[in-house]
Amino acid sequence: MPLRETHIVSGAQTKFGKLEGITLREMFAEAVDKATVDAGIAKEDIQAAFIGTFIPEMLVHQGHTAPLLVDYAGLRGLPATRHEAACASGATALRAGIMAIESGLYDTVLVAAAEKMTSVSTNKATEALAAAADDEFESSMGLTFPGVFAIAAVAHMQKYGTTEEDMALVAVKAHKNAAKNPLAQFQKEITLEKAMTPRYVAWPLKLFDCSPISDGAAAVVLTNREKAKKYTDTPIRIVGTGQASASMNLCDRTELTSFEGSVRAARIAYEMAGLTPKDIDVAVVHDCFTIAEIIATEDLGFFKPGEGAKAVREGVTAMDGDMPINPMGGLKAVGHPVGATGVKQAVVIYRELIGEAGANQVPNHDVGLMHNFGGTGATCVVNIMRRADA
Amino acid sequence: MSERPTIEQYQKFIQERDFHVFRCKKCGAMIAPPKGVCYSCGSNELEWAKVSGRGKLISFTVIHVAPEQFKDEAPYFVGIVELEEGTRVTARLLGLDPDQPEKVQLGMPLRLDYETGQTGRMYLGFRPA
Repeated sequence: MPLRETHIVSGAQTKFGKLEGITLREMFAEAVDKATVDAGIAKEDIQAAFIGTFIPEMLVHQGHTAPLLVDYAGLRGLPATRHEAACASGATALRAGIMAIESGLYDTVLVAAAEKMTSVSTNKATEALAAAADDEFESSMGLTFPGVFAIAAVAHMQKYGTTEEDMALVAVKAHKNAAKNPLAQFQKEITLEKAMTPRYVAWPLKLFDCSPISDGAAAVVLTNREKAKKYTDTPIRIVGTGQASASMNLCDRTELTSFEGSVRAARIAYEMAGLTPKDIDVAVVHDCFTIAEIIATEDLGFFKPGEGAKAVREGVTAMDGDMPINPMGGLKAVGHPVGATGVKQAVVIYRELIGEAGANQVPNHDVGLMHNFGGTGATCVVNIMRRADA
Repeated sequence: MSERPTIEQYQKFIQERDFHVFRCKKCGAMIAPPKGVCYSCGSNELEWAKVSGRGKLISFTVIHVAPEQFKDEAPYFVGIVELEEGTRVTARLLGLDPDQPEKVQLGMPLRLDYETGQTGRMYLGFRPA
């Protein structure tokens, strides 16, 4: 049965990128204010907060972030809990919010997430990110995150003939979309030649195959069916949600050209929503690396296994294509403040579905899907949303 | 050696260049890296076993941008290796040219070896058989 109660009634993000002179709590408060008071939603209406941050302990030497962040944002006193699932922290916080509304425990809740990554050196940030992989058996022999996705890329190239150029085309598309998005880290188009610059990070992945290190925050307000119209004429219903876990270690996966967590989470979400991949008008997928977008579009059922790259080549996934993917620029070009990404994805789908995505608006926007990955794909969340009037 | 295999001992075996895996006492499945249960039959009764050291290459990468502690070793290969006994491990690949990764063939036969990192730590490794 599709979920009945949960509606998104506002959503906002800060600019993503290297945000000088602004701390974690300030970014968080900015996103919360945009999603509440600026959207005509009184903070007094919020009854609980679900917070996504990945690893502020290592990035800004701060644990116990939920009460700290909500206090700074003027929400002191609320029950506030942090959700951590590496790069899927935001989406797991969102799922907690969904469960809170569906259960009837609360009428209106805040889901907000933030990560401040650029106040430490790139080395330190990389070390913090590595904590999302299995330290005992993979990171400890020098396998990195780009390395994990490079291993998947090599398997995909061998099995399906996907090329380095196909992956570079994902980056070109991401930058093209982000060029029109004022909140993106890289508001600049790149040529295929530039995307192919052979600066290898983990062969065959090059610099332009990788999402950047970023700062940023995002927030959404969820409310129940009864209250939704009070806040907006265009509430967005969350009709299906799925989450799955998979092995942390790549070597424990029987399939390297597909992420089983994505397949499983998608199946649950589609079934709950009573929808199929054909019903989805627009999707944001977790393109932490270009190959991850290609594989995600296959795992989510938009294209057959092995045909994700072809869809990129033929422009199917472009903003004006039949199946627009990451129309605002994705993690790749908008930036990837790890814990914030999952909530930012919900904000993107919210804006697309209500028709307020500006220069990044896709033509058909009744039903949207978000796909958020944690680490090596050991956590995956898929949420399906539709305009309440669609 | 304790009766129930431990991760500590698993890592120690690698440091001693004497790779052992977990084996399910019930169904005989070989398990590496360690797990608390056997995913083939669900049993949690595990014991130590030796392997032949023969395997084949499933996929790989060459790490160019390495974390601080591995910086001096880059570029280096990391691969997924399927052991003859069925289980897969993540390991360093040895005896291959990191500047010519396109020449490496998936499926190629490999044999167990070890490599000492710059820090003195021993890595599980495989080289072309």
